[in-house]
Amino acid sequence: MSDSAATGKLAPKPESRAKETLKALFANRLAVAGLVVLVLLIFVGIFGKAIAPYGINEINIADRLKPPSAAHWFGTDDLGRDVLSRVVVAARVSLQVGFIAVGFSLVVGVPIGLVAGYFRKGIDSLLMRMMDILFSFPAILLAIAILAVLGPGLGNAMIAIGLVYTPIFARITRGSVLVVSEEVYIRAARSLGARDVRLIFRHILPNVLAPIIVQTTLSLAFAILSEAALSFLGLGVQPPNPAWGRMLSEGRNFFKQAPWMGIFPGVAILLTVMAFNFIGDGLRDALDPKQKSVIESRGRSA
Amino acid sequence: MHGFLIKRLLQMLLALIGVSIVVFALMHIVPGDPVRVALGTRFDQELYDSLRQRLGLDRPLVEQYFSWLRGALSGDLGVSFRNGQPVTALILERLPATMTLAFAALLIALLVAIPAGIISAVKSGTALDYTVSAASQVGISMPDFWAGVMYILLFSLALGWLPSSGFTPISESFTGWLSHLILPALTVGLISGSIITRFVRSAVLEALNQDYVLTARSKGLSEWQIVRRHVLPNAWIPIVTVVGLQLGFLLGGVVVVEVIFAWPGLGRLALIAVKDRDFTVLQGAVLYIAFMFLLINLVVDIVYAFLDPRVRVS
Amino acid sequence: MKNKITWGVVILMIASAAALFAGGNGESGQDADMVPKAKILIAAQGSEPDQLDPHMTSAYASFQVLENVYDTLVQPGADLSMEPALAESWDISSDNLTWTFKLRDGVKFHNGRELVADDVVYSFERIIAEGLNNWRFGAVETITAPDDSTVVITLKQPSPNLLVSIAGFKGMAIIPKEIVEDGTIGTAPVGTGPFRFVSRSPDEGIILEKNPDYWRADEGLPKLDGVQFLQIPDAGTKLTALRTGEVHWIDTVPPQDIEALAGESGITVGRVPGGDYHYFALNQMRTPFDDVRVRQALATAINREEIAEAAQFGAATANQTAIPASNAAWYLDYAPYKTGDVEKAKELLDQAGVSDLSVDFLVTSDFPETVTQAQVIAAQLAPIGVNVEITDVDFSTWLDMESNGEFDAFMLSWIGNIDPDDFYYAQHHSAGGFNFQGYSNPEVDSLLEAARVETDQAARKELYDQAAALIVDDASYIYLYNPDNINAWRDEVKGYSTRGDNAVRFEETTLE
Repeated sequence: MSDSAATGKLAPKPESRAKETLKALFANRLAVAGLVVLVLLIFVGIFGKAIAPYGINEINIADRLKPPSAAHWFGTDDLGRDVLSRVVVAARVSLQVGFIAVGFSLVVGVPIGLVAGYFRKGIDSLLMRMMDILFSFPAILLAIAILAVLGPGLGNAMIAIGLVYTPIFARITRGSVLVVSEEVYIRAARSLGARDVRLIFRHILPNVLAPIIVQTTLSLAFAILSEAALSFLGLGVQPPNPAWGRMLSEGRNFFKQAPWMGIFPGVAILLTVMAFNFIGDGLRDALDPKQKSVIESRGRSA
Repeated sequence: MHGFLIKRLLQMLLALIGVSIVVFALMHIVPGDPVRVALGTRFDQELYDSLRQRLGLDRPLVEQYFSWLRGALSGDLGVSFRNGQPVTALILERLPATMTLAFAALLIALLVAIPAGIISAVKSGTALDYTVSAASQVGISMPDFWAGVMYILLFSLALGWLPSSGFTPISESFTGWLSHLILPALTVGLISGSIITRFVRSAVLEALNQDYVLTARSKGLSEWQIVRRHVLPNAWIPIVTVVGLQLGFLLGGVVVVEVIFAWPGLGRLALIAVKDRDFTVLQGAVLYIAFMFLLINLVVDIVYAFLDPRVRVS
Repeated sequence: MKNKITWGVVILMIASAAALFAGGNGESGQDADMVPKAKILIAAQGSEPDQLDPHMTSAYASFQVLENVYDTLVQPGADLSMEPALAESWDISSDNLTWTFKLRDGVKFHNGRELVADDVVYSFERIIAEGLNNWRFGAVETITAPDDSTVVITLKQPSPNLLVSIAGFKGMAIIPKEIVEDGTIGTAPVGTGPFRFVSRSPDEGIILEKNPDYWRADEGLPKLDGVQFLQIPDAGTKLTALRTGEVHWIDTVPPQDIEALAGESGITVGRVPGGDYHYFALNQMRTPFDDVRVRQALATAINREEIAEAAQFGAATANQTAIPASNAAWYLDYAPYKTGDVEKAKELLDQAGVSDLSVDFLVTSDFPETVTQAQVIAAQLAPIGVNVEITDVDFSTWLDMESNGEFDAFMLSWIGNIDPDDFYYAQHHSAGGFNFQGYSNPEVDSLLEAARVETDQAARKELYDQAAALIVDDASYIYLYNPDNINAWRDEVKGYSTRGDNAVRFEETTLE
């Protein structure tokens, strides 16, 4: 906005713009809470094995399906294993899957959407039809195919999940880009010969961020849950290595006998999702100067 | 407009052929084949070879594909390796159940998401906003297999109000149809609704911050009038996009919910086809799903143009 | 203006949705909610039958249905000894090479035609030519029909278990050739059984109706007017449907729910020891698993009771051999491995010169107990320094990897075994069709071959006992346990009992 009209010291320098964004972010109490939770989760993810009171496969049939107690804060599962330890150790895998899979689809899907929505015509058709093709595959088929071609393993599971979500990011980005690129100032800049790359990254991308951020936080939850479905097929972590999604799935079979088997991993996923949502909302608000001023004018840090 | 439609339809045809080729290729990359599955653990090499031959699976792959394609272009999608029934019939049998669930779920989703998202955005920063946000986040984090099971335990087992599973066509009994539909539609719809809520909220929030809204406020219009007249018309694009995606996804069959509620939809058909490597059924199912996505994306693009005349995708 | 479009779109969606369903298929059939005036038993099965051609399917779900549509020449009774079915009586020649079966009179196929001996000949010849169970006819030389009610089978060698081989389950059903010739056998079965096939649809499952011309009609059988097989793939939902009364009978109960279910009023749980067994096998085509000491080390380090308890919640009996104690005629009480003997296991591994052993278990979530068991075994083998990796794939991939030898160990179960030959031959004979672990012991081979043709019961048992002992000592399979067969049904269901071979028969069942 202010770039094109800039003269001298009225033009905000890039660094302080980033600083501004960060300031706005940290002023948002919820976003800060989200960040704290996220840092905590990452900490647990890194040091999981060290802080877990028990091993992940310490089977004790006599002690199975016991409710939370002093010895087992989250109770025990159907094989007598400590649920707390498993939830803690699972943090690493689940977070990894979440970040990397979603990161993959972001990095691949958003540029595709940007290009398709901005340049339209032939390239739009080609890219979107390719996305449609990708979208119509049953995810299981994709997963088994990846397993067959690339072999088992967590990394390949993340590629599989990432591939599944890429078309969504592409579609959502493209939709917004279609509208934003019709804004008067964009069209004016284009007709004045502004370089496409510059326009896309400096002017269009920031204005289509909102739905992308929303989709990112959504995909995170689904990526973590998808890992469960995939691990049933040989991708992802193999038992007995725990992962929240899989624990949820197995916990369902024991819902009557031991609801804590599913509740705790479920809460872990919920916390992660909420943390990301708050950070995402905060980020979106902070990046949108209009929202920032609205917040300021309302006289509170939302 | 006509030129645009024809071009898109041609693209759809090409895309469908593309999909079928990729599915065919993938099916032959993955380990296992329908004969292997039919024999199960009682594997016998001679029997395997003779069955393969009988099913035409020992022909060169290219020949197998083109023979299928020829059939498909004339409407014959082949026969299921698994149970001998014609693929077209298998898919058509399951369409009513899939469509019913998809539209019912979407209806629930929209009825929940649009008001909730708007309210949340208009009252942004208040307790109401936080409640709606929190609820939608719970809705997203709660997987469908948990939600479905809990609804069944509550409404079928504990309360006895609704049946736990199965599908009754509306032609047979309206109350039966409805009572069987409610729980699965609720399961899918609330999750879908949570997703759409977040997009509605985000889109409305953004629109609320535009200059023309400030202008309208300064003119003295009430918040609701502003929403109705200025915000909603401009917040549509991301909402339409996500609704289109959700509908496409729903029409492809929601496997997990179909399994839990024993709902005879396409998702289960496709799942069993993948597990048992039933090539023809899978080809047919994916073709149908791809067609649905392409169709919906076409509709969405047309709707974009409708809602925002500046956006003409041609 | 835009708002109107929104509402327009929404209304259009609802309208089109309504239009779709209004014109929907008006298939007749029972709505599970309505109280049936006719006595229709609603049976819920956990998986979907594939095709309904008894000679060409291996799916248990298909056989649950076909059990009630077809008959075999003879059939296993409640105690699993073979009793007359389509054949009233049979004679064996003194050299044991000729069996003569006298067929029952007046048996009709569901299409009205009377059963004749040629139908038996046709059915068996079809199985031998292209059926999945052709290997069961390995000893058969010829099958002829000298007249309409006699079938003569001549053998290449004496076959004391011929009856079980040719009629142990409905995979050897007697079919009318018409339905093969018109291609409908896979989708519309026609047999001689108590119920005839009516329809199959995804909404209503498979519907059978009473066969009024059933050859036991004079006993008032079948008592039911029909059976509806519904497919409810989720075990929890299936259980709930039984509890709410939406279905009358379910085929399995998750082991952790058995105890609670048995105590519930209104529901009966049927439970009998079964002939299935769970096992794992080490790949003898890979070092160091070709060393018997390594296999024995694993066989003794594990705790079978704990595994059975973990996987089946007590609805199973640990067993170091394959044949369960409930099979009194053939059971061998042989348990050479001391349970959880960590010392001995370590010693054996040392002798074999193996340390830091890693074993990759091939399991499949399509049979979730294999996944549970592998995890328990992993914990049980850790103390002897063996690291267990688990490879969990879908069943199709599992089958592929198993037959290609891509495993250190594979874990599964064998079901529906009656005769000891079923239990041992194909898996442990060096030329056995299902010997995927690469086991070869010439002594076992000759014992099994001799037992196949030994007509004296006692001598036969002796041979199998010796073979079994060798198989266990060599740890060709490491047997784990025999699970109980479990069904559950509402109290209104009478005249049904769970069988040792897990065949699902509603012939004498009724609804009160």
